[in-house]
Amino acid sequence: MDALLALTVANLKSFVRDRAALFWTIAFPVIFVVLFGTLFGGGTARFRVGWVDQDHTPASAALEQAFARTGVLSLKPMSEAAALAQSRQGQLDAVIVVPAGYGAAVARAHDEGASTTGPTSSSASPLLPSPSLTLYTDPTRTGTAQAIEQLVTDVTTGVDQALSGRPPILSVQVRPLSGKPIVTGPSYYVPSILAMAIMQLGIFAAVPLVQQREKLILKRLGATPLPRWTLVGSNVLLRLVIAAGQTVIILAIGLVGFHVQVTGSWLLIAGIVALGALMFTALGYVIASFVRTEEAANGVTQVAQVLMMFLSGIFFPIELMPEWMKSIARLLPLTYLADGLRQVMVGSSPFVPLGVGMGILGAWLVACLAISARFFRWE
Amino acid sequence: MKVGELTNEVMTDRASAWAVECHDLHKRYGNLDAVAGVSFEVRPGEVFGLLGPNGAGKTTTIEILEGIRAPDAGDVRVLGLDPWRDGRRVKSRIGVQLQTASLYPYLTVGELIDLFGRFFPRRLPTHQVLDMLELGEKVDAQTRTLSGGQQQRLSVALALVNDPELVFLDEPTTGLDPAARRSLWEIVRRLRAEGRSVLLTTHYMEEADALCDRLAIMDHGRILELGTAGELVNRRFHEQAVHFTAIPGMEAAELRSFPGVARVAHEDGEVLLYTSDVPATIGAVLAAADGLGAAPTDLGVRRPTLEDVFLELTGRALRD
Repeated sequence: MDALLALTVANLKSFVRDRAALFWTIAFPVIFVVLFGTLFGGGTARFRVGWVDQDHTPASAALEQAFARTGVLSLKPMSEAAALAQSRQGQLDAVIVVPAGYGAAVARAHDEGASTTGPTSSSASPLLPSPSLTLYTDPTRTGTAQAIEQLVTDVTTGVDQALSGRPPILSVQVRPLSGKPIVTGPSYYVPSILAMAIMQLGIFAAVPLVQQREKLILKRLGATPLPRWTLVGSNVLLRLVIAAGQTVIILAIGLVGFHVQVTGSWLLIAGIVALGALMFTALGYVIASFVRTEEAANGVTQVAQVLMMFLSGIFFPIELMPEWMKSIARLLPLTYLADGLRQVMVGSSPFVPLGVGMGILGAWLVACLAISARFFRWE
Repeated sequence: MKVGELTNEVMTDRASAWAVECHDLHKRYGNLDAVAGVSFEVRPGEVFGLLGPNGAGKTTTIEILEGIRAPDAGDVRVLGLDPWRDGRRVKSRIGVQLQTASLYPYLTVGELIDLFGRFFPRRLPTHQVLDMLELGEKVDAQTRTLSGGQQQRLSVALALVNDPELVFLDEPTTGLDPAARRSLWEIVRRLRAEGRSVLLTTHYMEEADALCDRLAIMDHGRILELGTAGELVNRRFHEQAVHFTAIPGMEAAELRSFPGVARVAHEDGEVLLYTSDVPATIGAVLAAADGLGAAPTDLGVRRPTLEDVFLELTGRALRD
């Protein structure tokens, strides 16, 4: 145990002092997050809202202007059916429906406000039901949903009072959007690039392994009483620690820099990160089992990581891929790590259910372990 | 039989009194017999050398003894134990220096020695190891910044962290400049003075001559000769060579008739007289030169070396 910890600490020191390793595992993914977050995030946080006006009166137009003035909501007028369809595809964050009769209700309330004297008699025209504005939000994106809901309530209350000079006549009815949206922008890139970083961290384990074998370092360690499982164990521990570091850094940038709302359980996120780090480290051992030289190890890991990076839905959703590319994506483990992280972190619609994805990662892990156990050579 | 005659009197001791016993060791790689029946023993407290060119099987032999490679056949005992089956116990008590570049380039000398110490059940304090190898000044230097000689001293230091009874040094001075080489020789002598046994490989004849109590000459996976350096030379060469610049008029037939001369050779304008009686031969050379009105220049005597032994045994030079 003492030796395992000492070796892990030594590996960690080496890692931190090796600027190149530090760059590729930390700075490189951070650059990607910032780059893609800025390019496709639109900078400031604006919620895309489908605007369904079934009333078509000056009052509903006034309400639309009031929402637009907040500067936070970008409204797109459309039909209710179109709005719900688009929000399912992740193109909208929320949908607001203004019911027919809203303008009439406002006018009525205005008349009553003018005829009666005190603002205290609130229960105006109990005979007519007050019109209800419907707000659809995605309950899995708790933060976004709450923010929009608060905003919409504030605006409708304000508009009501301005129009009628009386307490609200318009209630807001919140309804969940059916089906999870495909998230876009920083919410998409932060978990995806975290998955990419873990993949790189894992498969690049092959390079130092081959290097240590080539330079007879593994042989030298084999001449000490140190059991071999300690070598493997310290390597795995090291990668888990670095993966945790990557997760914290990339998430912090997403949360602080791009206001990404993390909706899932932190424990589950940690579990998925750990499974991914283990699986890809095992894949690193598989690569090290079949290549002999450091140059070859570098080449093979580069090719593997670039292929996975572009075919696993890191930079664009798998749903947008052509069919042939989708079938490749289905074979790659990074697809399931990224998909799982997106589901849990930002409530993205699943490519496969979380349990299935994690099962596939687990199967990859077992397969990689079996292949390494059979073919890995210490010299 | 070479081994037997040297070790008879100690044989009465119990078997584990040997630091290393190796009997009829074989190791094959594909079609190549890397080690083809090697037998020798290392006495406790002696420096034993395996001398031979690259590819002679020295490294394979030493790695089997270190327990990092399994033999195909043969009996091997290190400190009385089987190094393959009892690997961890053997490895705890031996020190190993391999032909390895830098181990962890980004760790400091102190960190690396401390790390290795933690691999062993019994260890020397880091500062003591640093002092032994005169690496104290470099304790905080990352190992990638060390010179070749310092690297080599560090790799020996790592072989000593567990206070080993037996130290394996695989070509410890290869690639070092003469000063660094001599400093490593001093360290090997100190190890012997501390009562440790040392088994080293080298392809430097003068290193084997300077350091080893006994040595074995290896080639093509076999031991060709075994004994002290003096024994090896005397066993092969009963003559020494008197040499001088060739003098015109001094004929080969005349040279052969000089007292003690067994053989005459000519090399780059030099005459070599292999003789069993150096003073008489030199006297005859001087008299003959005087008779021709000349004086022999660059007159000298050369004692055969291990290099000559090797050349004689294999028909090729050591460093070919």
